[in-house]
Amino acid sequence: MTRILLIEDDAETAESVIAELADRGFEVQWSPDGIDGLDRARSSCPDALIVDRMLPGMDGLTVIEALRKDEVGTPVLVLSALGAVDDRVRGLRMGGDDYLTKPFALIELVARVEALLRRPTDSRETTLRAGPLELDLIDRTARRGEREIDLLPREFRLLEYMMRRSDQLLTRAMLLEEVWNYKFVPATTNLIDVHMGRLRHKVDGPGEMQLIHNVRGSGFLLRVRQ
Amino acid sequence: MRQFHFIRSNTFLWALAVAAAFALFVVGLFAFIYWKIDDYLIVRSDRMITTQIDFLARLPSARRVNAITDHLEQDSRGVQYAGLFDAAGARLAGNIQRVPQELELDGVVQGVRLDRITQSTDHDPVVRAAARRLEGGAILVMGRNVDETREISSVVGQALALGLLPAFCLCLLAGACLSIRAQRRVEEVNQRVRRIVAGDLRERLPQDNVDDPFARLAGIVNGMLDEMETMINALTGVGNDIAHDLRTPLTRARLALERGRTHAATLEQLHEVVDKAVAGIDQSLAIVTALLRLAEIENNRRMAGFGDVALDEILREVCDVYEPIAEDKNVALGVAIDRKVQVWGDRDLLFETVANLVDNAVKFTPAGGMVRLELVSTDKTAFVRVSDTGLGINEQEREAVLRRFYRSDKMRHTPGVGLGLSLVAAIVKLHGFRLIIYPPPGGRVEILVSTGAKGPRPSTSRSRVTRGLTGRNVGGDAWLANGESRDA
Repeated sequence: MTRILLIEDDAETAESVIAELADRGFEVQWSPDGIDGLDRARSSCPDALIVDRMLPGMDGLTVIEALRKDEVGTPVLVLSALGAVDDRVRGLRMGGDDYLTKPFALIELVARVEALLRRPTDSRETTLRAGPLELDLIDRTARRGEREIDLLPREFRLLEYMMRRSDQLLTRAMLLEEVWNYKFVPATTNLIDVHMGRLRHKVDGPGEMQLIHNVRGSGFLLRVRQ
Repeated sequence: MRQFHFIRSNTFLWALAVAAAFALFVVGLFAFIYWKIDDYLIVRSDRMITTQIDFLARLPSARRVNAITDHLEQDSRGVQYAGLFDAAGARLAGNIQRVPQELELDGVVQGVRLDRITQSTDHDPVVRAAARRLEGGAILVMGRNVDETREISSVVGQALALGLLPAFCLCLLAGACLSIRAQRRVEEVNQRVRRIVAGDLRERLPQDNVDDPFARLAGIVNGMLDEMETMINALTGVGNDIAHDLRTPLTRARLALERGRTHAATLEQLHEVVDKAVAGIDQSLAIVTALLRLAEIENNRRMAGFGDVALDEILREVCDVYEPIAEDKNVALGVAIDRKVQVWGDRDLLFETVANLVDNAVKFTPAGGMVRLELVSTDKTAFVRVSDTGLGINEQEREAVLRRFYRSDKMRHTPGVGLGLSLVAAIVKLHGFRLIIYPPPGGRVEILVSTGAKGPRPSTSRSRVTRGLTGRNVGGDAWLANGESRDA
């Protein structure tokens, strides 16, 4: 079972997060302050860490920095009410792998934790495969079985991102940040949906099994496992 | 107490120090003059004594007595000394009683005390004298009273007293005047600052039209106060705006939950209610996030990410992002780029600005219309132009659209929180660029970009328009939102 250590001082927030993660099959340990959290992180070697920035005893970023100095490479999701770009950058520079601003949706937190736990290996392969889909990363061509898919550059990047994280929920915020490199919430809220709709139209042809799924209120999923 | 403060004031102490230094300098100067004159007179007297003793020594001994008598009779000022003594030291002629013991008989002039036969002064005169032993053993003494130097020193002293005292007093008076003037100015500034601290934000420091450092400082502080007043007023306005605009989505969420709690009969209905409530809360959060970002940008805290940015790339990227959105709406979206343009700025913020303008253009252009994104450049400037075939922004709304939360009547039913153009204006201001809104027909917004100078030119202008944006007409009745105080 995957073990996650949550270092969060607010008991109510911690309770909701622990319940949601437990429902998803994770084993969660909770620590309400920085010093205790750092001790637990060192002693119990969890698979992932969720660390709040403002903690009693020791600041969350200091906890992460201390772990990184000990050469602990455990993936860390930073939680914070400080959402300015400079704060995010600082959080990532101090050793965080991802940054989630409070208040957040639980589904967003789970999706990001799963993404951290299943980070794609930085492989040097030139062809990417997921189910019937195949991407040639050199020629920038895409195929579904025998059928060639004509993709625009942005669609290619989007499909590549999804194939590297197949069978994993991808929230709109994650897609905006990673594929579109957006640092803000666009005024047009259905921006991702329109692009995804066009990609789905190209990937899931008539009579073919649907691969790209819209998870209502949460995001999108490239399902290749049957 | 006030006098004590005045005497203790820095300006007065400085004036006192300057006056003392001046007095010391004058005393030193007069002492030098006295010393030089004294030296000159003694040298002149020594020369005269040497000449006289040489002359009398060359005379035949029979004529010396008469010559000495004549020499002394012609001395109307009574400063001459002369004496002729035999080998035993007995006086033969002259007005000196005896040969002074300390006087060498080598003809060299030296300072000695001479006993005159008749002492005319009440003090021992300062005398320069020389003595020479003549052939036959006689001793000739010639001297001269150099008391003139005492007179000169007293004249110099009087001149010093007459000149120094008024000068010293004048220095002190100037220092006192300056001190009083500076204290008055500082006291006035103190009073006004106290009023500002007490909450009177309209108060300003006194600013004369003279070009002195104090006036310049007052000008800078007044500029700062202008900016603070504008920001505080804007903040007050924002507080009201937030209160109003957050209430709407929160009320929706509350009502949905309330109705759901009493009316939802099935799980599906409950889900629907929760979705509505979550949507309301999400919108509230979006407003808070946007406001925080706006504050961050307006407070110039986003300068860290500045660097060289390729504007043409940003335009292509925005076009690439919005092309499917426009196509969905049956709106043609085209991009025309003159040539590559590099500007100094924050890439993410500039992307957001162009994206916002294109987003609005696509949103408010009816189906079948067209949105055009252009980059027109010259050597020093460039225009990012977003034009569309929609209704455009009429004259009455040109300033209002830049205000936070402003929603035009024709926008009431479109999604958004009314902060897009506020963000655009703030980002444009941060970069020192200009935002120009043209009148209908059609929508046309331009960002005038400076490509010549590196770095933004921060705004220091006082403005009565929200968030320090100044408006004025440019060619064709366009509305200009400045990022700087200078005219174009």
